[in-house]
Amino acid sequence: MDLAFSADDDAFRDEVRTWLTEHAPSERRPHDLHAARDYDLAWQRLQYEAGWAGIGWPVAFGGRDLPLTRQLIWYEEYARTGLPPIDARFVGLSHAGPTLIARGTDEQRADHLLPILRGDVVWCQGFSEPDAGSDLASLRTRAVVDGHELVVTGQKIWTSFAPVADWQELLVRTNPDVPKHKGITWLICDMHTPGVDVRPIRTMDNGYEFAEVFYDEVRVPLANVVGDVDDGWSVALSTLSFERGTASTISQVQLSTNVERLIELARSRRSVSGRRVIADESIAHRLARARADVAALRALTYLNISRNAHAVQPGPEGSMLKLEDARLNQEVYRLALEILGPRSLELVDGEDDTYWVERQLWSYAASIGGGTSEIQKNIVAERLLGLPR
Amino acid sequence: MDLTLAPEQTEIVASAAAFLRARLPLATVRQRLDSDDVVDPGAWSAAAELGWFALGLPEDRGGVGFGLADEALLFREIGRSLAPGPYLPTVLAARIASYAGCRELTARIVGGAERVGLVLGGAHDGAIRLLDADQSLVVALSPSSASLVAVDALDDVVRVNCVDPASTLRRARAGDVHPVASVTNDVDPIARRGHVLVAAMLTGITEAVRDVAAEHARDRIQFDRPIGVHQAVKHPCAEMAVHAERAYAQTIFAAVAHDERRRDADFHATSALLVATDAAERSTAATVQVFGGMGFTFEHDAHLYVKRARVLARLFGAPADHLGRLLTLDRAD
Repeated sequence: MDLAFSADDDAFRDEVRTWLTEHAPSERRPHDLHAARDYDLAWQRLQYEAGWAGIGWPVAFGGRDLPLTRQLIWYEEYARTGLPPIDARFVGLSHAGPTLIARGTDEQRADHLLPILRGDVVWCQGFSEPDAGSDLASLRTRAVVDGHELVVTGQKIWTSFAPVADWQELLVRTNPDVPKHKGITWLICDMHTPGVDVRPIRTMDNGYEFAEVFYDEVRVPLANVVGDVDDGWSVALSTLSFERGTASTISQVQLSTNVERLIELARSRRSVSGRRVIADESIAHRLARARADVAALRALTYLNISRNAHAVQPGPEGSMLKLEDARLNQEVYRLALEILGPRSLELVDGEDDTYWVERQLWSYAASIGGGTSEIQKNIVAERLLGLPR
Repeated sequence: MDLTLAPEQTEIVASAAAFLRARLPLATVRQRLDSDDVVDPGAWSAAAELGWFALGLPEDRGGVGFGLADEALLFREIGRSLAPGPYLPTVLAARIASYAGCRELTARIVGGAERVGLVLGGAHDGAIRLLDADQSLVVALSPSSASLVAVDALDDVVRVNCVDPASTLRRARAGDVHPVASVTNDVDPIARRGHVLVAAMLTGITEAVRDVAAEHARDRIQFDRPIGVHQAVKHPCAEMAVHAERAYAQTIFAAVAHDERRRDADFHATSALLVATDAAERSTAATVQVFGGMGFTFEHDAHLYVKRARVLARLFGAPADHLGRLLTLDRAD
């Protein structure tokens, strides 16, 4: 066992840190969704030109194929920039791209991978539906073969960045007469096709990225099927095996930075009584516990990455990381509100305290998005402990 | 960076687990609970012969020369087994004796001739409490040093019943005590080692109850189905798995941080203690609930885990003390 990084790894870290310090955008990411798209893509283009795009992708597809330790280093350093862990580039780089690498045809890869790396396009994910959330395989958006095309009709929901997306990874029901996991197909859908109707959804943190997407006889070429017709469930699962626990590093490092910022805040702020906030023992103890818990979250990440570096296929341990990440995000930002006191009621653009209020409102999503904490607990109990379904 | 076990570490874990299963299965431990001495002297000597009390002691001090990470893996197994006896303070005592230059005493401790107890930290009522001080010596920690103290040198030593039937407890008052041996933290950070090793034991307990609770959730049939199909049972089991994992991860992180002489080793050791304490307390309590009425009986093992975790959580003071101390330390690197 060791925690130390090799001299080469340390040199790599220096290189990454220097490059990020010199090139990461210093101006705030804009609130307007279209401006944010331009901002994210310009940032991706810059990374691509400097050779930092697709650090975990195979070299054959334009990536760097860095070992997990180097990916970890990249993400740890990236977190220092304060840029959001997830932006308009996320689905393309971390989901659709890896899926095409694993299961796409040569032509699909040639058409889509480079534009993702180069920052030309935004992808979104069309998986969830109003009646298919945690039970994703019960999805009902229909696709019927008609000549060389599939004709798609139905509805998707919770589609981040759909209003500014060019492409969508879309799961559709192609066969309603077989068990639910067997009649699903994974499609590449052009978001500019006639019949695609995107309606934004405003979220409780005043976010503007969410949308529902309606499909009215949308025609998708059969050449856009990834894997085979009716084999989409296995294609969707193959992406999961690509994620080896490094990408969550950004959010975890930022959480740990934020705990330290909150300790400073509690030391400098005074409550109504005139005492420093940190003099309140219950606040001090919660801050200390957050420190310990966030340290353990990092240890969990390191353990996970260590195991995955040896494993052929990542196990369900990632669910434990996600559960703990969600729990801690919610605890830490709830604690931030208590440190802020009455300022926690204020949302004033440009003021530092507003950051905490927005993060706390966002934190409700931490135990829902990407699989709810309830589903993660089912996975841990059934796959790790062997409990019955 | 790699936190998976090296082959020789897998070997340590396997041989420790095999020894504990063979010599100190819980059924055997139970038979001794009502006797005067719950510690099986034969098993204690055998553990000494296996080198357990000298595992982390440098070779030039007559030890095996393994790291704290290796020692933590051993103590995780000891914790899991609920083996009675002051394994942890005895390991600390061997180091104190060795670094204080007491060669003969070191050899006696390492050889299994001295079981050394512990002065529990964080007394608020003027009394001091001695855990497993069944022979002549106890380990006493101060913020800056660690000492060995003769039990005879303390005043008004009285045995009181301990909440954990597999531990012994004594009340005493500190008189004018001269330590038998003393080592400051800059020579060897004994307290840090104690924090990591107790975190390892609490991790072992958490893993043990996770496994027995999951087994029960799989096997116990009510309403014609295993109770584990219900999320009200399933989710607490999953939470135990998460607790075990985070306690384990932080404990080995802290142990390796110590072995690599990182600046933030104390930060990680204290964090490990806090995380593992929380993990064990929550998981042992949840286990009683999973077993229902059986879990509340003396006959069932669930309470033994609850009680051992409670004792271990207080070895070095109250969680509030550790929380307060963690805030005074520099942030992790």
